[in-house]
Amino acid sequence: MRRGGLTSLLFLAPLLVVFGVFSWAPIVQSVVMSFQKTNLVGPTRFVGLDNFVQVLNDPLLWTAVGNTLWFALLALVFGYPLPLVTAVLISEVRARRGLFSALAYLPVVVPPVVAVLLWKFFYDASPSGVFNTVLGWVGLGPWQWLQNPGSAMPALVLEATWAAAGGTVIIYLAALAGVPVEQYEAAEIDGAGIWRKVWHVTLPRLRGVLLVTFILQIIGTAQVFLEPFLFTGGGPANSTMTILLLIYDYAFASSLGGDYGAATALSIMLAAVLAVLSAAYLRVTRTWSAS
Amino acid sequence: MTSHRSRVAAALVLPLALAACGSSPDDEVGADGKVVLTVAMDAGLEGKAIEAFNARVAQFEQAHADIDVKPQEYTWTAATFTAQLAGGTAPDVLTVPFTDGRGLIERGQIADISAQVDALPYAKSLNPTVAKAGQSADGRQWAVPIAAYGQALHYNRTLFGQAGLDPDKPPTTWAEVRAAAKQITERTGQAGYAQMTQGNTGGWILTTLDYAFGGRTEKLDGANAEATIDTPEMTEVLTSLRAMRWDDNSMGANFLYDWAGINQDFAAGRIGMYVSGGGNYGNLVTQNGLKPADYGVTALPLADKPDAGVLGGGTLAVVSPKVGDRGKEAAVKWIDFYYMGKLTNQDAAVADAKTLADTKQPVGAPALPVVDRATYDKQQEWTKQYVNVPLNQMKPYTDRMFDQPLVTEPTKSTQEVYKILDTTVQTLLTDRGADVAALLKKADADAQATIGRG
Amino acid sequence: MKRGLISPAERATPAIRRTLRAVQALLLGALLLTGLGPVLWLAKAALTPTQDTLRAPLAIFPSGLDLANLLTAWTRVEIDKYFLNTVVIAAGSWLVQLLVATTAGYALAVLRPRYGPVVTAVVLGTLFVPAIVLLVPLYLTVVRTGMINTFWAVWLPAGASAFNVVLVQRFFANLPREVLEAARVDGAGPVRVFWSVVLPLSRPILGVVSVFAVVASWKDFLWPLLVLPDPAVQPLSVRLPALQRYVELDVFLAALALSSVIPVALFLVFQRLFLQSGALEGAVKG
Repeated sequence: MRRGGLTSLLFLAPLLVVFGVFSWAPIVQSVVMSFQKTNLVGPTRFVGLDNFVQVLNDPLLWTAVGNTLWFALLALVFGYPLPLVTAVLISEVRARRGLFSALAYLPVVVPPVVAVLLWKFFYDASPSGVFNTVLGWVGLGPWQWLQNPGSAMPALVLEATWAAAGGTVIIYLAALAGVPVEQYEAAEIDGAGIWRKVWHVTLPRLRGVLLVTFILQIIGTAQVFLEPFLFTGGGPANSTMTILLLIYDYAFASSLGGDYGAATALSIMLAAVLAVLSAAYLRVTRTWSAS
Repeated sequence: MTSHRSRVAAALVLPLALAACGSSPDDEVGADGKVVLTVAMDAGLEGKAIEAFNARVAQFEQAHADIDVKPQEYTWTAATFTAQLAGGTAPDVLTVPFTDGRGLIERGQIADISAQVDALPYAKSLNPTVAKAGQSADGRQWAVPIAAYGQALHYNRTLFGQAGLDPDKPPTTWAEVRAAAKQITERTGQAGYAQMTQGNTGGWILTTLDYAFGGRTEKLDGANAEATIDTPEMTEVLTSLRAMRWDDNSMGANFLYDWAGINQDFAAGRIGMYVSGGGNYGNLVTQNGLKPADYGVTALPLADKPDAGVLGGGTLAVVSPKVGDRGKEAAVKWIDFYYMGKLTNQDAAVADAKTLADTKQPVGAPALPVVDRATYDKQQEWTKQYVNVPLNQMKPYTDRMFDQPLVTEPTKSTQEVYKILDTTVQTLLTDRGADVAALLKKADADAQATIGRG
Repeated sequence: MKRGLISPAERATPAIRRTLRAVQALLLGALLLTGLGPVLWLAKAALTPTQDTLRAPLAIFPSGLDLANLLTAWTRVEIDKYFLNTVVIAAGSWLVQLLVATTAGYALAVLRPRYGPVVTAVVLGTLFVPAIVLLVPLYLTVVRTGMINTFWAVWLPAGASAFNVVLVQRFFANLPREVLEAARVDGAGPVRVFWSVVLPLSRPILGVVSVFAVVASWKDFLWPLLVLPDPAVQPLSVRLPALQRYVELDVFLAALALSSVIPVALFLVFQRLFLQSGALEGAVKG
């Protein structure tokens, strides 16, 4: 095959232009900006590590880190086992399995913004709110949902889990279909019951995909923005302030112009953590697809 | 591998980075020698209103043959405004809220037009409290105030009626506000009194209440400023709010309101009373579909203390730092013609009021004088026949608004301090165990750190 | 249908069969409640007057239908306009992503220039960089180039998706080389081979990239929020939260329902494609 040449360059041109302007240049610029102060009008100054120091000294940062970890943990507790159980159950459905998976996937299709705005209404804290009405039927509530620093974050996670679980269910279903029947049969010959088959055949076969969804979920939750931004704006009393929301606040919340230096500094620190996770993820998928 | 990769990236990136550097102020001059001036026009206007705007532009261009005015649809958005200003995608002349005036001036993010403004006939007779919002620390007028208001207590007359309160006798003290709120919640099930808490509005309203109780949130001493949040007045404010929230439970179930959100719920009849700008009626009707019969507004209750006052706000016309001297001249002429004309010139005032009335926009909602009282009264007289708001229901406010002392917003790191106070008020309203003294101590320290840094 | 975890022998056991049935009935109930419930509630609320929805949110039409909500949402709230914006944004992003991914995939996998591996490496490198790092500098780039409030500000950055490039490149690399050689022997130039041989052979992967592109664009919020401050060009995702404050509740809920109708309908029609790409997301991402 030909090597080099104008034709190749021509075919690469869209990639080079688009990636150059909208990916590579901003990445480099991001690193540069994290060492600078600018208000876009006056001259730009290099300030060394000042931005990083400023961000690390911001008491809100630690609130945001704590909240983000809390979100991630809650999301794991609610959202990790649920799709797995659902998928295993659906995979044993004989009639109308399509209906089951379609129902599970339906929330994923609802546009995320619509989902959040709808749930925001469900979470109305007055006794006539949707969820509080349901609670009222069984003699509970009214609960404060988003209007209380303690329950706001779990409420966010509940919606996020509802919105995302279906996608994970489908992934697990595909993986479950790939479990060789012979292994189940072999286990049965050894006298294994249903539980032992789940434990000794199904779960080990799913190990790879479980790890993948685990890391993807961590990477996703580390960048949670939509829910706190639309549900609570980080409140009440910063109880749902996440790292990404803080970056947004640094850069875009002040009407006097953002602190772009602080925003990029924090982005880069978050990116460093996520890059390690991504690298781990790539390693895992590689060894997994090789096996 | 890594160094190799980054070198390739650098080669690709360098020319772009260089091209992206900023530029110094310069006038845009057309081929015909006219200076080109882009001016903000409210986004989303109706056809008739756009026609009226264009007619004003034509009039202006006729009077100033060397200026070419280009209208640009523009709405002020906090998140993108300064970047657009710096990137040159904002119009040359635009409007911003009072709150940001000082900060923009200090950071040099808008053009210094004080020389041109001083030449205007009414430069010396601007209402001094109002003019301050557009002045630099040394007293030069970098921005022109074009509208002013004081905070007021808005209330729902229908809910007042249902609760057995007299809609024509709204509360005049904070104790009466509390009692009325309690009665509204008990008899109608709606929030008796609600308050904004989000997106810096929590701080804005808390500061308003502090002023009304006779406090101030900052003390200026030359160039230095001291945060004065942990004060007896602020303690009284928070204690009153806490009593309404936790003892009376008369503040409803939503404690994450921002400006638009509280307007929405008020217009929907879910809120008995709330504090916001005195001229808010227009927004409530045009954007939230408020039923005019529901609406009532009264003067903000003030404590019986010498320093008790009403926090004021308004709109400033500012000029982009990108324009040169000819552009600044032209910009100030446009501000004088378009924005100030409505307030100081009979033909312009009548034409504006007529357009508003024709497009079913409110005319006559309460506002404070930008220039002197005499000019204000004249303007009211000119536009009288177009007034289409229920003036009678605004009487409790308009009867007293001129007698209330107007106080400007805090000047140092205003938005940042508001943001700190957002957290204070959110904690108070959502955490039953919140300790007022500790909250204020923390807010005071945080605000002091912010002011010191800014 | 092939068997799974539970063997035919186990299914024949009455105890297991009963338990299985009960569990599956419960599962169906739970899925109906959580999957369909909120969607149906939204559909109901879209046709209910505001005061009913506020006072008795779970009652079914206590004081009758209010069909005008939908009409008001569509016309006065101009859902049609934002809907169109959403479609235009999705279509443009899709086109740019396909253009970049296919041309680059072709160059890197078929033409294979000498510097190809370097380009591949730099593209792959961006996979490690989370989108958040790009937020501020990309935003400033858009501001400086005057692309703010234009669809280009969304379309072009969407094209810089390393994931697409890698996906397409891998697929192209596995195309049967004999077919490409044969085309070349017949005198087809590189452009011709690309257009008439490679692209038609690549329908499956193009379908996958398309679904990803359209779904991602439909869901995007933060980026269009920043670069499209002018309501006239905003997509639904950005406009809806703002509308919440200016529109009466019943009309707003109608607007939410209208915004969900198309994606939900598309899903019901192309269920298999959606579910397949959904499954693929877990298998190939990375």
